[in-house]
Amino acid sequence: MIEVDEDKLIRCPVCAAVNIDRGKANSCRRCGSGIYQHRRFSTEKSWAYLITAMIAYIPANLYPMLVSTQFGATEGSTILGGVVLLWEHGSYPIALIIFVASIMIPVVKFLILIYLLISVKYPIGKDKKVNKHKLYYLTEIIGPWSMIDVFVVAILAALIHLANIEIVAGTAATAFALSVFFTLLAAHAFDETLIKENK
Amino acid sequence: MKLENEDALDNLIICHQCYTLHEEIPIKDGSKACCSVCGGILYRYDNRLIDHGLALSITGLIFFILANVFPLVQIDILGSEQYITIPKTIFSLFESGFYVVGMICAFLIFIFPLMIFAINLILFTLLKFERGDLWTKDLLILLSHITPWSMTDIFLISILVALVKLIGYAQIHMGISFWALAVFVLIDLYIVKRLHLSEVWMLRKRIIQNRERNDRG
Ligand SMILES: [Zn+2]
Ligand SMILES: [Zn+2]
Repeated sequence: MIEVDEDKLIRCPVCAAVNIDRGKANSCRRCGSGIYQHRRFSTEKSWAYLITAMIAYIPANLYPMLVSTQFGATEGSTILGGVVLLWEHGSYPIALIIFVASIMIPVVKFLILIYLLISVKYPIGKDKKVNKHKLYYLTEIIGPWSMIDVFVVAILAALIHLANIEIVAGTAATAFALSVFFTLLAAHAFDETLIKENK
Repeated sequence: MKLENEDALDNLIICHQCYTLHEEIPIKDGSKACCSVCGGILYRYDNRLIDHGLALSITGLIFFILANVFPLVQIDILGSEQYITIPKTIFSLFESGFYVVGMICAFLIFIFPLMIFAINLILFTLLKFERGDLWTKDLLILLSHITPWSMTDIFLISILVALVKLIGYAQIHMGISFWALAVFVLIDLYIVKRLHLSEVWMLRKRIIQNRERNDRG
């Protein structure tokens, strides 16, 4: 018989097995993965990815996402410019989808991760009104959907190759894809057990 | 809380959505257990998980091949015909010098989805013949690392968004691969989002325990 403290039980982020929290020496009893062994730098890794993602998000909005050449005239449109253009043309649903996927989701994800990373270290937001685990789960679910605009640009660029009209991806596509990539890494690097400790 | 040994922790489960601790209870075949706090699904019980897993991964692989060899969409624009396939979309990014985006897209919509289904096929085959315990462990670990990075569902929606942008400029025909991709996405959603890997881990544990019991007695 062993006595287990229920608050000391954590979930393995790889295989979801329930483990007893042994601090620094945590490794999963089922799959053997280390469970957040970086106790001294518990949030730093996630911060590093998140800051990289936020820096990449700046050129993603400033440079053109899509460059179209029509009869020799080159024209580039940024993410926001593209949304405004679609709205003016009356394509409201598509304008909304792009706006939500490319602007709202990344910004909401940044804010949630910043809030989580700060709140597990400092005593702000200790109210139990918000379930931080649910917030974290939300970022996992909505995160990948911000890739929509990158895929759309890739599809249009592959599809439109005419003698007089050509569409190519713009610099922002690279910056945006990197931003999404690093945001996903930041979310994966976040130590969910820290939420429990700071309850 | 008192437990017999550390192995008894397998009777416990922590909700994926809200981190509440639950005790696992036996449920009827084909039913699911939900979290009492947030309503999220904790686990399901499928008596024929291996057969279903095998059938789904084979079907998925067939539809993945179909989704890659035929045109996804075809358009008539200004008197010229254009079409795309999934590989063509990725290669055209490389051709125009977008190596980073090209690589990211190649992994998200081609390499990872293909790997997930190939791994599932090997995994369920090994489980069916009750072989390679170490292999199944490594495959399950690998699987949980790559499943968050498979984005064919998002790519499918992106095709529709791109096509709506072209309405009025071009005549659009959906290709065979588009429908194959749609079926693939449905299977992918089932196998990746509905089938919890912890259920496969438990299945693996039961197989190993059964064998050990048979060996002893
Ligand atoms: Zn584990
Ligand atoms: Zn729950």
